[in-house]
Amino acid sequence: MTPGTLQGMTQDSMMTKTDPQAAKSPEVALAVRNLNFYYGENHALHDISVDFQARRVTAMIGPSGCGKSTLLRIFNRMYDLYPGQRATGEVMFDGRNILDHDLDLNILRARVGMVFQKPTPFPMSIYDNIAFGVRLHEKLNKADMDARVQDVLTRVALWNEVRDRLNAPASGLSGGQQQRLCIARSIATRPEVLLLDEPTSALDPISTARIEELLDELKEEFTIAIVTHNMQQAARCADQVAFFYMGRLIEVDSADRMFTNPKQQQTQDYITGRFG
Amino acid sequence: MWWLRSPDNARFSSQSFSRMTLATATPSEEARDTAGASRSGSRRSGPDTAFHFLVAASALLVLVVLGGLVVLMGIGGSQAFRTFGLGFAFSDVWNPVADLYGAWAPLFGTIVSTLIGVAIALPLAFGTAFWLTAMAPPRIAAIVGTAVQLLAAVPSIIFGMWGFFTIVPFMARTVQPFLTHHFKHVPGIKFIIHGAPFGTGLMTAGLVLAVMIAPFMTAVMRDVFAAMPNMLRESAYGLGATRWDVMWKVVVPWSRSGMIGAIVLGMGRALGETMAVTFVIGNVTDVGWSLFAPRSTVASLIALQFPESPAGSLRLSALLALGFILMLLSFASLALARMLRGNTK
Repeated sequence: MTPGTLQGMTQDSMMTKTDPQAAKSPEVALAVRNLNFYYGENHALHDISVDFQARRVTAMIGPSGCGKSTLLRIFNRMYDLYPGQRATGEVMFDGRNILDHDLDLNILRARVGMVFQKPTPFPMSIYDNIAFGVRLHEKLNKADMDARVQDVLTRVALWNEVRDRLNAPASGLSGGQQQRLCIARSIATRPEVLLLDEPTSALDPISTARIEELLDELKEEFTIAIVTHNMQQAARCADQVAFFYMGRLIEVDSADRMFTNPKQQQTQDYITGRFG
Repeated sequence: MWWLRSPDNARFSSQSFSRMTLATATPSEEARDTAGASRSGSRRSGPDTAFHFLVAASALLVLVVLGGLVVLMGIGGSQAFRTFGLGFAFSDVWNPVADLYGAWAPLFGTIVSTLIGVAIALPLAFGTAFWLTAMAPPRIAAIVGTAVQLLAAVPSIIFGMWGFFTIVPFMARTVQPFLTHHFKHVPGIKFIIHGAPFGTGLMTAGLVLAVMIAPFMTAVMRDVFAAMPNMLRESAYGLGATRWDVMWKVVVPWSRSGMIGAIVLGMGRALGETMAVTFVIGNVTDVGWSLFAPRSTVASLIALQFPESPAGSLRLSALLALGFILMLLSFASLALARMLRGNTK
């Protein structure tokens, strides 16, 4: 995908490919092992171990404060911005542990994109919002950049709506358009993993439906991890669902089994709306 | 009482709260409720009318004081304006012996020293505010943040004495000889550093002003940066941006109007600063481009010459006219800020 920018992260990647286990089971993009996370003294995640399959949508559900967003923010080391937050354990991504101290965060974040609860357009034009991330990692000429912008905007079904006003401020778009722009911005750096933290929580039902359709197309190319409070959304979009409660992973299974026949009583209670 | 019977009610929403009140209200409470209803209506009880009057009066007092100031300065300065006409603002003569007065020399000093002060304070304040909000460990941020507030609370006369005993000798013995030695033949710079090494002048005043206004600007910018949504910052970092990219391409454009506010606050303080500037500017009513020659500012000139100007004299009128112009200058900078802010929205 982005062959030039992967220095330092690709060295062991062949190993995962030739691993006999990996050949049989679906390819794993992110392998979480014995992960613990702390907000200062507060132990927020306990011994999480879970696989995120490549080019699948994994939904994380659970009541507020259960740790699902925390887990998401580990995958791009966003917690590094905040002193006092730390993680122990292992998150293997392309043969390297994401938690390693000597990892180049800027490269990691180019490979692991993120979309937030609310649209976060930068205070610049629609075009520059997309070019911003690309310029950080690649030197493209004007024509290539134009092509990249058009490509990602087309893929999030925004091109026809904004093609005539690419130089207008992004803040002038509607909420749903802004969120699609943010997704376009994230995939413009050609990441392998896309993290979505309740991406539709601030959107109306129609915009939500469009984003969900979009996820279905994007998963052909990206590994998607989505945090959602909306059970229907998890059922509609996800291939795999992980249920978290009080900082622990209670159950992880395919979406079909999870919503029809959960193994744990707590999961059953949560998805039927008995608590949370 | 119902709230004693069921303490859990405290957690109820305001809607259920009022329903509860209605359901259990005793006759006397009902009577009080009707009194409460009429309070928000057009009839007012005695104390309430008084309160209404007091708050309105204190707000209107602002208008009276502002108008009073403008009128007083205008009337006081009218003699000077009549004598010298509009030329008063642009004449660089200030000669009490010949009784000839012009505002240009002190105005020039005020404007240039303020610009120097803001130009030095702006990057200082920006850097401090950015570091405090985005990078500093919380404990150190708390300590430095408090120090910034303390610095803002230091009275200006302290800065004046500090400037006089520290900055002025430093300029006279180190900076000026150094500049004269290295740059006296460089065309574009020569005329800026020209002058005897007194250590006083616009540069010294600008430096002292910068130290004085930087804490205020830092405080405003810190609030602006803190008000920026974390998610927006994280979005930029999430794309792999460095701190430098985030600062220049996201934080600065986003906080533009807030930064203009900070600049205006600093300018306002610098324009009117009297004591600290009087200590270090040299107090000579000259105009010239050298930043190291003694000059004067409007505020310092008024402070120094006011006690020596007899009532009814043309000199006193000229000083009041200077005050009038200084006020207009402050209003103009505020208006400019409003305009710049409006453009960003």
